[in-house]
Amino acid sequence: MGRYILRRAVQAVGTLLLVMLLLHLLTTVAIQLNGNPAQAFFGDKVATAAQIAAVEERFGLDDPCYDQVGNPCLGPFVERLGQYAQGDFGTNLRGREVSDIVATAAPNTLRLFCVVLVTWLALGMLLGSLAARRRGSAGDHGIRLTSVLIDAFPVFVLLIVYRYVVAVPLHGWAERTFGEDSWPPYWFKPSFDADHPWATVLVPGILLGLAGSAAFIRLVRASQLESYQGDHVRTARSKGLGERHVVVHHVVRNSSVPVVTAVGLTFAEALGGAVITEGLMNIYGMGGVLWEAVRNDDVGLVLGVVTLLAAVTVVVMILVDIAYALLDPRIRYE
Amino acid sequence: MSDAVNAAPTAPRVSASNPLAEAWRTLRRRPDTVIAAAVLLFFAVMAAFPGLFTSTSPRTCPIREARTTPQGWGGDHPLGTDALGCDVLATLVHGVRPSLLLAVVVVGVSLLIGVTLGLLAGFYLGWVDYLVSRTVEVFLVIPLLLAALLVLSLFKGVDLGAGTFNVILLPAVVLILFGWMPYARYVRASTLEAKNLDYVTAARSLGASDLRVMVRHVLPNAIGTVTALLPTSVAGVISAEAVLSFLGIGVRPPATSWGIQIEQGSQWVLGGAPHILLAPLACLVATVLALVVLGDALRDALDPRLAA
Repeated sequence: MGRYILRRAVQAVGTLLLVMLLLHLLTTVAIQLNGNPAQAFFGDKVATAAQIAAVEERFGLDDPCYDQVGNPCLGPFVERLGQYAQGDFGTNLRGREVSDIVATAAPNTLRLFCVVLVTWLALGMLLGSLAARRRGSAGDHGIRLTSVLIDAFPVFVLLIVYRYVVAVPLHGWAERTFGEDSWPPYWFKPSFDADHPWATVLVPGILLGLAGSAAFIRLVRASQLESYQGDHVRTARSKGLGERHVVVHHVVRNSSVPVVTAVGLTFAEALGGAVITEGLMNIYGMGGVLWEAVRNDDVGLVLGVVTLLAAVTVVVMILVDIAYALLDPRIRYE
Repeated sequence: MSDAVNAAPTAPRVSASNPLAEAWRTLRRRPDTVIAAAVLLFFAVMAAFPGLFTSTSPRTCPIREARTTPQGWGGDHPLGTDALGCDVLATLVHGVRPSLLLAVVVVGVSLLIGVTLGLLAGFYLGWVDYLVSRTVEVFLVIPLLLAALLVLSLFKGVDLGAGTFNVILLPAVVLILFGWMPYARYVRASTLEAKNLDYVTAARSLGASDLRVMVRHVLPNAIGTVTALLPTSVAGVISAEAVLSFLGIGVRPPATSWGIQIEQGSQWVLGGAPHILLAPLACLVATVLALVVLGDALRDALDPRLAA
């Protein structure tokens, strides 16, 4: 097991290096084709050549290779890797450290993910188990219809409708009914409030979780259906165990392995969803920062945040692989 | 989706064991898939012949007619006008083409890349497989939307012209670049399963070339799982495009798209003109819903073990 973890970790470092190289190459090609992003620093104002040169130097864009189309610019890449190794992820256009921005923004993203994870598992396990247990019944069809409907509303649409159509009247109603200082008005606040992070992240998190839960419902149903047909379940039943015991110990437990894997695989997708959620709801998290950076043409910040999030994804994927190996004794990686 | 349609003419000839023909026959009998297909056909016609639905140009925008409420069929502005006075129906109708074209191009090309690489990796294994699997891993680490945000904001200033393909070129390239991996993975897995089946061995011992074995014998078996993914992928691209256009980095102006309309409409919901938001939103949801229903039915038809 230890050797397996070590091997996966080494592999992950390699993947991460390749990912950074990929991001670097994309940025380089963009700069070579598109002209210098240093201009974005000045917005609409016209800058002198000396000013642009100064900005280029500060953001490490002064290497002549950025003017030669097709040059992979490996020199600046190695330099940047050195900076990453020292924890320096560059600065945004106003000169604030990316690592500093991320440190203040990350807790809110973690809060959002907690809510999302709970929603996924709660909805997926509950509805998926129900559907598998009563296969073919009206309930199964209803749950299936629900999951199709959930899929039909992308998180973007859900949030737009919530923020612009539902939230404001709901917020006003909650304020009138429960008083201004109680909890409910904060739940329905149409934008993030740094003083009440949990309350204002709750509804957006549930919506984001809802949008991803259809896949979980289907997955839980499919893997439990397989368990119900398994020999071990028939054995358990035939030796006279109660139905509840069979379901909890032999069906649910056995079918939870693929669910754990799915959490890892859906993570990357949920990161994309988090960007939309945080951007639309003004939540000050990693996604919200990225959303604003795109709006302000702050390429340095976008690159820094995407690199960091890719690193997080790599770590999550390893953790899932390890959890998978621990949970399922049939899997041996030697 | 398209595979099922293509399989239609051959359906009577081939034996019932062809999974695609079988799937097609099951699909035809379900009312929900027929309705979903009709909805998609409606929007496809709209994309191809916008002139059938509106004679107003989306670019004539008299500002004094801004935010007219919907007037119903027969009026000058059946769905009202937006904040700048442009006709909502005309914008809607002319916004279908870029969205649908983008979705079809992205899914088509990613499918082609994914199937080719997955087939080669699964068939030859060895260093080909190593190369493909590593590449898939690297691309999988960067979530699609994050990659799109990064690359499209990097290329925001590039001017590509206003032709039908030019307005979707950049988002198409990015979404393809980061969207082909699932197909490669699925096809690789099913190729591994299919290539050791008896009839494949038989074909090989009869002297069939690698290419023939791959295309004629392995691919038809490996394509099933991927087919069920297609409608949902098209829906995914359509909603990704809406998000990117909302941020101003998707489809390029002067072309319009539902995402751009939603962005503009969202500011006027509480300002007394909710129709500017609701019209494109309803179209988006209808299209995605139709695709999801189709994907769901296809999944059932191809894998009846899990049907209700």
